[in-house]
Amino acid sequence: MVSTVQNTDVKQKDSDHAVVVAVASRAVFEPGAGGGDGVYAEGVAFPLLQALQKVNERLLEENSAESLLFDIVLITTDSQQQQQSSQLISSTKHYGLEVSRFCFSTEEDFSESLLKNNVQLFLSTDRNEVSQTSQKGVLSALLDEYTASCPSEQLRVLLCGDAVIRPDTNPTPASRQAAQSFSARLGKMRQRFGMSDSPLSITLMTSCGGRDSCGGALQTLRSLGISADEAYCLAGAPQGPILSVLRPHFLLSDGFSGLED
Amino acid sequence: MSLNTGQSLTVSGQDLTKNGSSSSRASWEDARTVLKPSTPTRKPKPPKPENAITIAVSARVLFTMEKEQQIYEQQGMEDYIKYQVEHETEPFSPGPAFSFVKALEAVNAQLRELYPESEELFDVVLMTNNHANVGLRLINTINHHQLFIERFCMTGGNSPIGYLKAYHANLYLSADPIKVREALEEGIAAATMFTPEKMTEVSETQLRVAFDGDAVLFSDESERIYKAHGLDKFFEHEKAHENKPLDHGPLKCFLEALGKLQKKFYAKGQRMDCPIRTYLVTARSAASSGTRALKTLRSWGLEIDEALFLAGAPKGPMLEKIRPHIFFDDQMFHVEGAAEMGTVACHVPYGIAQRVTKRGIWDKETSSAPK
Repeated sequence: MVSTVQNTDVKQKDSDHAVVVAVASRAVFEPGAGGGDGVYAEGVAFPLLQALQKVNERLLEENSAESLLFDIVLITTDSQQQQQSSQLISSTKHYGLEVSRFCFSTEEDFSESLLKNNVQLFLSTDRNEVSQTSQKGVLSALLDEYTASCPSEQLRVLLCGDAVIRPDTNPTPASRQAAQSFSARLGKMRQRFGMSDSPLSITLMTSCGGRDSCGGALQTLRSLGISADEAYCLAGAPQGPILSVLRPHFLLSDGFSGLED
Repeated sequence: MSLNTGQSLTVSGQDLTKNGSSSSRASWEDARTVLKPSTPTRKPKPPKPENAITIAVSARVLFTMEKEQQIYEQQGMEDYIKYQVEHETEPFSPGPAFSFVKALEAVNAQLRELYPESEELFDVVLMTNNHANVGLRLINTINHHQLFIERFCMTGGNSPIGYLKAYHANLYLSADPIKVREALEEGIAAATMFTPEKMTEVSETQLRVAFDGDAVLFSDESERIYKAHGLDKFFEHEKAHENKPLDHGPLKCFLEALGKLQKKFYAKGQRMDCPIRTYLVTARSAASSGTRALKTLRSWGLEIDEALFLAGAPKGPMLEKIRPHIFFDDQMFHVEGAAEMGTVACHVPYGIAQRVTKRGIWDKETSSAPK
């Protein structure tokens, strides 16, 4: 069973052109923790949401008729949170979050509801959830505690050029396609801004291969119309220290490598 | 490609015969390398950062990007990027750090021969502020010059400092003095590299690194005495404290890292013709203030191959004789003097010398208090 509630405080986006991003409500608000007055406390995805909003704000500044915007949907399967759906909605309004609508779904219908809502990217802190939706063909990315420490003034997206961030999932042609088309739209958004002072930053990283695999990935991105701001070629160096400096809000693997494995 | 019985083939500088090889690798592995026609020499894997001596170089010191730099300064970022992309297939020509990097690779090749399993090697990382759009041109250039650089960070304008730390960089070379200063403040050995007017030829098989003493290998404590109280007081002080080691300077750890690799060559009997040679080129004099310098090095367990005490004479001519791949000094006067005579000289913006006007260190007329 899926029910959708529109947020009347927020102007609805043009569904033909907007990029729909669904975020698990448990990532946006601390589950259970009650801030005073029936308002939820901020969750790890808060800076991420603010960064998405910042991009929209700047896009509209460049062109007030812009339709290529992020369309943010809050989605929950958590039955507890569903019972407190009004609290979810009121918390969202309290913080002035630019969430267009709320989706309440059961676990069984979850992936379906994402597909029905034309979700192009699903973000969650739940590893199982992300794995499941990913297998059903929805581009999904895992958020973790590091996401909370990311900046809120600039959306930082990391594209992995030679994968294996999630060694348990095998990239399917469908997931590759989803990653590429989402990133291409991101690339288009990026073009609306100049070289510096962009609210959106796209970074390419290759972990295992040498410089030629990174070069290949850069060319793949270019063919998709994506101009990366930053590029890192690790050639086997540990990712952790680099990621903690990079501070991306989320990573997308699959679909960007330029070389055949 | 076929293997004929009894013929020997050379792969990566090692002689390889059909029945086996002179290295400790399994002979079938070597055979497989030989049979791959498109890759006659197998590309070695880069070492783990914690095992390697990591040298981070910026794009502008590794290559010559003068024209592009001009476009950036006069016409701005967008035109600069456009130009770079348009000329993507044109490799840059070598910059001042190029011969240094080639020498590092020569040392690596020799280390790999003697210690095939060891990761104690130089690892060169390209650390540039450039936008990823310039990436393909940089990669094409690295390929063109056949450099062994597999790791890079193109930070798109963000500070490189965090990445230097992530790579445990042992040395950072850049054309930008601000970044170099930042790195030094974070405890990373760093220097601003300048392009000499002409480049004297340097060895392709022996890495030569020359250091100034005070405020480079050693702290600037003695220089402070000189600046505040003059030459005579300086001599007195150094003689009196001959047996008290000086405090360490920003490049001490880099000398230490070089020493560690040198010892590996010594262990294999290569002391006299070691592929790494270090030099101390100081304005101190052998007769007096030099002793404290040598004793300090000894107390640190560090060796330097040649110590040249110039007693105030200009460093340029001496360096021209030595022909180091790189020379570090804290005073622009010496850096410029060296560059004029064809040495690749780098400025270490550390210590008291940064706060006084640039003059010859032994200019007695200027023995006034620091500004």
